[in-house]
Amino acid sequence: MNRFRRQFFLGSFLLLVASVLAIMIHCRWSRQLPHYAYLTGWVLLVAMFLLALYNARKRLPFLPLGHSETWAQLHIYAGFFTVVLFLIHLNFRLPTGWFEGTLAWLYALVTGSGIAGLLLSRVLPRRLATRGGEVIYEKIPALRHALRETAEALALGGETPSPTIAEFYVRQLSGFLAGPRNFWPHLLDSRRPLNALLSELEDLRRFLNESEQATLDKLTQVVRQKDGLDYHHALQTTLKLWLFVHLPLTYSLMICSVLHVVLVFAFAGGAR
Amino acid sequence: MPPTPPSIERPQRWDAAFDPAMTEADVERLLAIPPFSQMAPENFPKRTPLREILRHDTSIRRYRQGEIITRQGDYGTSAFLILSGTTRVVLKPDLAPALLGRQAPVKKGILRTLAQLWGGRRPPESFQRAQLRPNAGVGARQNENQEVHVFLQDLPRVLDQHRTEEMAAGDFFGEIAALSRMPRTSTIFAASDTAELLEIRWQGLRDLMRADDQLRQHINRIYRERALASYLRATPLFRYLTKEQLDQVAAQIEFATYGDYDWSGEYKRLAQSGGGRPEKEPVIVQEGDYPNGVVLLRAGFARVSQKFGQGERTLNYIGAGQLFGLDEIAHNFQQPQAPVNLQYSLRGIGYTHLLIVPTNVMEQIVLPSLPKSELPPLLSPAAETRPAPPAGPVPSGARDRIGADTLEFLTANRFFNGTATMVIDLDRCTRCDDCVRACAATHDNNPRFLRHGPTSGRLMIANACMHCADPVCMIGCPTGAIHRESFAGQVVINPTTCIGCKACANNCPYDAIRMVDVRDPRGEFMVGEDHKPISKATKCDLCVENHGGPACQRACPHGALERINLNDLTALADWMQR
Repeated sequence: MNRFRRQFFLGSFLLLVASVLAIMIHCRWSRQLPHYAYLTGWVLLVAMFLLALYNARKRLPFLPLGHSETWAQLHIYAGFFTVVLFLIHLNFRLPTGWFEGTLAWLYALVTGSGIAGLLLSRVLPRRLATRGGEVIYEKIPALRHALRETAEALALGGETPSPTIAEFYVRQLSGFLAGPRNFWPHLLDSRRPLNALLSELEDLRRFLNESEQATLDKLTQVVRQKDGLDYHHALQTTLKLWLFVHLPLTYSLMICSVLHVVLVFAFAGGAR
Repeated sequence: MPPTPPSIERPQRWDAAFDPAMTEADVERLLAIPPFSQMAPENFPKRTPLREILRHDTSIRRYRQGEIITRQGDYGTSAFLILSGTTRVVLKPDLAPALLGRQAPVKKGILRTLAQLWGGRRPPESFQRAQLRPNAGVGARQNENQEVHVFLQDLPRVLDQHRTEEMAAGDFFGEIAALSRMPRTSTIFAASDTAELLEIRWQGLRDLMRADDQLRQHINRIYRERALASYLRATPLFRYLTKEQLDQVAAQIEFATYGDYDWSGEYKRLAQSGGGRPEKEPVIVQEGDYPNGVVLLRAGFARVSQKFGQGERTLNYIGAGQLFGLDEIAHNFQQPQAPVNLQYSLRGIGYTHLLIVPTNVMEQIVLPSLPKSELPPLLSPAAETRPAPPAGPVPSGARDRIGADTLEFLTANRFFNGTATMVIDLDRCTRCDDCVRACAATHDNNPRFLRHGPTSGRLMIANACMHCADPVCMIGCPTGAIHRESFAGQVVINPTTCIGCKACANNCPYDAIRMVDVRDPRGEFMVGEDHKPISKATKCDLCVENHGGPACQRACPHGALERINLNDLTALADWMQR
């Protein structure tokens, strides 16, 4: 069994054991312990702060704080465990009151964005590697610009530009080459837009002479390269963007949680 | 009529002279003194006459008292002959690293480590002026040829505290390091007011040795005395030999070198044309030939290949300390009635320095000493299957797990040279650049690598210093600023003694060294007395000063980045199947 699989089985097993134990403790002690809601609340809050520490670790790479991979694994499995803690804290009931409701929604969104990020980080890199044409994200605009210039020179430049190709370029290709295109089809791994464009390019062939056809072949090559860039842009953007959802939500949740603690202690009369 | 192909003058061996300032008068002077006066010009081939070797492959260097000529641990491409004056070789104890332009390896303390918390606002590559002030024990000055010579400030103290030995006119030194591509074993400095030395580059020394028996015997004798005996003693194949037998073997071993010492330029051309092809590499021994001896790789790398279709297929590569041809010779020794020829070809990659133990020496001295259980298994010439290629950095299990394509990719790009190569698994890498940020945070806000590079399947070899087994970058540093942190350790640059000459950056075959203009803590670019910016070479130092290992590797949340020693591909195979 390889390391990743071993990590997965061990993590899942420990998560299962911890979750079952937590639920058993809840069933056995929830009605007998005084201030039980305080206890589960504090445990949940500490767990959430521990999860948030992972971001601090990432910002201090020069300190000998262990491998980020180990932290990420702990973050993932502890994150799942806090779902159980959260449900226990709610006593497996839907929250009442708008603030508690907002808090629960925030919690769900943070957990959901975390799970989405986990899935994306497992699926998208493999797809990028399979597609090939590895490119640094920040260099994509410059490469796109270079492709556009190449295409323009092919379609509109030269001593005797083909009016047929020039017309097609202005009508169809200039927009395609102007910026990132087909974000969602690329994210969903659909080649339909590319195939449609290639088909149009191929349809054009019967109106062209031999030298124009050679130009068309080069343009087709540029279109394929641009499509590859768009593919990398779409997937790499997604890989970067999900964190911009997860982190602000996390900070909002942390602030609301602290506020929740303050409110609980301010109105502590009825808490058990 | 077909168009006439463009023609250029064919490049010749001596298009670029070692020292264009060498004159006919200099050559005449050299021809009049030993050992050149004792050489017979008729023994030299017409294409490489003695006079032309001296004219194009040598340079007369003048050093003033205390100026360092060679440093222990440096890699050099040339040998020296003292023409006049004296030099001294440092015997014991070695000079302090600071006197050789190096930094003693020191891990950051707790305070310096914590101080990095506030380092994020510092301008990139900024230094306090005091940090760039050289060690008081050494100074640097330019001679009339604009060459930088580092000198020992307090020579009497050095002579007092270190045991040294004088060398005088007619003495040779540096020839072993030049020919075998091993680090220089000692530090030598000029002892007289002026010392005049003839520096002979590697190619010239090789040609002189080929044509002149006396010089060849002299250098071979020095090699056998100083370097070979200890090397053979450490080689497992010879561990059962007595001292007398070992001396007999050492006396009959042959030396050979293949390829270019400065293979960096050749590699860059290969890389631009899409990688090297085995067919173009020099053949050391050919598949199907009679095995004339066991090949021991002393330095560099060689490719083990096999005929496949119209080309050659890479099966393995072997590095320093590995053997080739033992299986066949051991078979012929045990079954002389059914001899076999070489099963594979061996080709030099880059620069390769070899020792060849002749077959008769193997059969008469070495193989009889080995217990039967340690003899390689017999080969079957009639069998369809061939024996496993010699055990090199790629054990057969690892080879299968890595795959032929990846092995070809690593060999063609010469990545096997790396002892800490940055390998990225593209199936796991989310392109988050945490590794780049970690590197920048650890190194003056300037990342020391590029998260990009050649790919093969899901593997990417990122553009980061690989800390090569054969560090071409270390050849020619005038101040010793680029050095190994320890013997066979990380290659690091001392910013204090780096003079920004770009020699290392130009030499690095993998473009892993970058020049940067340094700033002061306010962000202003530092300038020299000539008002030009002060440049320094920068590269990955494997976070040698930090605790916990390379920050890039520790920062990867998905376990997608690893620094791997590609001299031992088992580690890569294990990592790929993790």
